[in-house]
Amino acid sequence: MTGFIRDLLGKMMPPPGGIDCGGVLAQLYEYIDEELDDPATVEKIRKHLQVCKRCYPRYDFEKAFLRFVSELGRTSAPAELRGRIFQNILEEESQN
Amino acid sequence: MGRDASLKQHEFESEALVHLDTLYNVALRLTGNAPDAEDLVQDTVTKAYRAWDKYQPGTNCRAWLVTIMRNTFINQFRRKRKQPSRVQFDSVEDVSVFDEVQERDPAGSFFRSIVDDDVKRAIQELPEEFRIPVVLSDVEGLSYAEIAEILELPVGTVKSRLFRGRRRLQKRLYEYALEMGYIR
Repeated sequence: MTGFIRDLLGKMMPPPGGIDCGGVLAQLYEYIDEELDDPATVEKIRKHLQVCKRCYPRYDFEKAFLRFVSELGRTSAPAELRGRIFQNILEEESQN
Repeated sequence: MGRDASLKQHEFESEALVHLDTLYNVALRLTGNAPDAEDLVQDTVTKAYRAWDKYQPGTNCRAWLVTIMRNTFINQFRRKRKQPSRVQFDSVEDVSVFDEVQERDPAGSFFRSIVDDDVKRAIQELPEEFRIPVVLSDVEGLSYAEIAEILELPVGTVKSRLFRGRRRLQKRLYEYALEMGYIR
């Protein structure tokens, strides 16, 4: 299908979920972050993503990125620091 | 040690010290190095312990601790350092990485090729205005409202900083992947 026909069809048919791609992309992070207050909007975006070949890959990409950052961005507190902090609290109490 | 003290310690350990990893992680991203991060965590925990009476049980302890950490950082650490970096209002985040890779790697599998040291470095290289919201949200899983409260910013500002910070981070990770030849 040429871009022209697709654009024309896009103008004639209601967008999937009753929300257009621009609306989905503008709220995509809030959707992924579960920060949208209105359940109706969440449902519209969910339905749109199920069928939209343009927005779904975008959603998938952003999810992959966020999953990646949450898995690899984290550093655990060193055990030695943990020990020192527990020790400090014990000492803090014994001074009182 | 009296009974009250032992109770206080027990409460503090089970409500506050369970967030030690979060504190260390945020401290590392604030200070940029492990020795300063350890000092900042220690100072924060000591202050929190002394102020434990002021903490309302059942409220958001993690956000309370991170707020103390942020204030401590601003008061103590930043004085030693140069002025905080000014955000360059350039347009690096205007073009999304997705637009560049959607033909070659739409699922973003190139992210998997990047080692965690590079990820941490990329996060650290973000200007602080973007780095802290990204760490609190995307690494620590705090909500927009919690981040807004900690950073004393409107929720709308948190949203836009997250948006721009994520775009910048994606761009940096994409550049690493290109440099390493993981993506062409």
